[in-house]
Amino acid sequence: MVLLHGGAFSLAVDSQRSTLWQGLTPQARILCVIVMVMAIALTPNGHWLTWGIYSIGILSTVLVSQVTLSVLVQRLAVELSFVSTILLGTLFREGGDILWQWGIVSITTTGLTVLGSVTLKALLSLLLLNVLTLTTPVPALLHGLKRLKTPTILVAILASMYRYLSVLIEEFNAMRRAALSRNLMTGKRWQRLVVGNMIGSLFIRTYERGERVHQAMLSRGYQGLPLFQEGSKNKGYDTIVVTLTGLFAITGQIAYWLT
Amino acid sequence: MHHNPISVANLSYTYPDGTPALRGVDVQIKANERVALVGANGSGKSTLLQHFNGILLPQEGTIVVGEYAMEPQNLSNIRNFVGLVFQNPDDQLFMPTVMEDIAFGPMNQGLQGEELSRRCHSSMYAVGLDPHHFGDRNANNLSGGEKKRVAIAGVLAMQPQILVFDEPSAQLDPRSRRQLIHLMQGLPMTQLIATHDLDLALELCSRTLILSEGELVYDGPTEAIFYDEAFLQSHSLETPLSFSRPYCQLSDVPKKEVAIGNDSYIGVV
Repeated sequence: MVLLHGGAFSLAVDSQRSTLWQGLTPQARILCVIVMVMAIALTPNGHWLTWGIYSIGILSTVLVSQVTLSVLVQRLAVELSFVSTILLGTLFREGGDILWQWGIVSITTTGLTVLGSVTLKALLSLLLLNVLTLTTPVPALLHGLKRLKTPTILVAILASMYRYLSVLIEEFNAMRRAALSRNLMTGKRWQRLVVGNMIGSLFIRTYERGERVHQAMLSRGYQGLPLFQEGSKNKGYDTIVVTLTGLFAITGQIAYWLT
Repeated sequence: MHHNPISVANLSYTYPDGTPALRGVDVQIKANERVALVGANGSGKSTLLQHFNGILLPQEGTIVVGEYAMEPQNLSNIRNFVGLVFQNPDDQLFMPTVMEDIAFGPMNQGLQGEELSRRCHSSMYAVGLDPHHFGDRNANNLSGGEKKRVAIAGVLAMQPQILVFDEPSAQLDPRSRRQLIHLMQGLPMTQLIATHDLDLALELCSRTLILSEGELVYDGPTEAIFYDEAFLQSHSLETPLSFSRPYCQLSDVPKKEVAIGNDSYIGVV
């Protein structure tokens, strides 16, 4: 149901601030985030020092970008609730000393290390990605992706998704209202059946709308390859920050091996 | 300027399920004409409109738009020549922001940079939208009237010689409809308007085409046919609403004050 209210969300609530982070072009922000997320995710389990160093950098970014902390925490809470279902499975991994056992279910030191590592990886990556989406509006993100040479067709698909998500939500809500107005949501079982039918009919409507959108695109001279306006050009400042981010990622890895 | 921008000869079209949509339509539309295309639901209006822009290609018969025959190799030129404004702006506005959507057509024509920006700004001013206020907004957050204007601006930005409208006044409130009529009156290009709004047709178009079950049953002056109630009814149409009101202006109504209780009413007696 949270998804059904997606149209009402303003994703980039902190995009208008002028800070060192917002001073970067969208493509530089994306690049910094990709470098850091890759570094975090590719760090082997149990390398706590590396993640400790990365956390300092990430928390500094959160502070510098002046994102609204309450919104950041809310979004993290929702995202982590999804991630936690996957994380739970890692707890019961075999290997190492057994700390607790009940029948075939056991918690081992390896399981705990994996759980801690993956949780930390997910938390740090989500923090960074949320800072990016809180400070960069979706159109700017799309331009940034385009400037980073992401395939045009992929960016066009993302752009259409962003544009039509709210239209589809509106259509679904309209169907829901129509069903409610005819008292069709009384029983639980009946309700599930009706929602199932709605989703089916939404699929057909989406398909039909896709056809009409394509016709409208053709009528304005579309020839199979979407074109985008030139986004903001790279600046010297971008290069410095992306390089520093890269060096920071390497420092984190080296620090672990030196200790 | 071409003197005969659209020429349709013996055009027929049948949908894949076998439903005939158009049967032997012949039409000539001259430059700077404003023509209404009227017909009941399912009469073939939208199918005919989609032929003008090359969305549908003729199965039988020929269409010549400007100097281009309707053939796949001419589609790019034809689409620059004929601008099609769709009935539902949500189908037409698909880019994340208003400015990007308006820029879509001109970019497909190869425009970039300063020239593109100038073209987009001037077409937004032409439809009465301030580019600085609307440019960065998401099309989803606009009102119906504003969406319609953005859709028209997106087509105007391609600088077409012919504008084709599919139900332009559908889903608009009276004020937005009135603004749209003023806007269309001010546009200098040839216009072809498919509509159920016969009052709009009466106000804007001196010539009307009536389609009925895929056949062109009338091609002539608007006013003459809108008075022919029997003919309109035989093709599932009605006379314009303005005809059913004896007096369009309150000032024309013979007034007689009628006192009912303590209140006074103006009534026609």
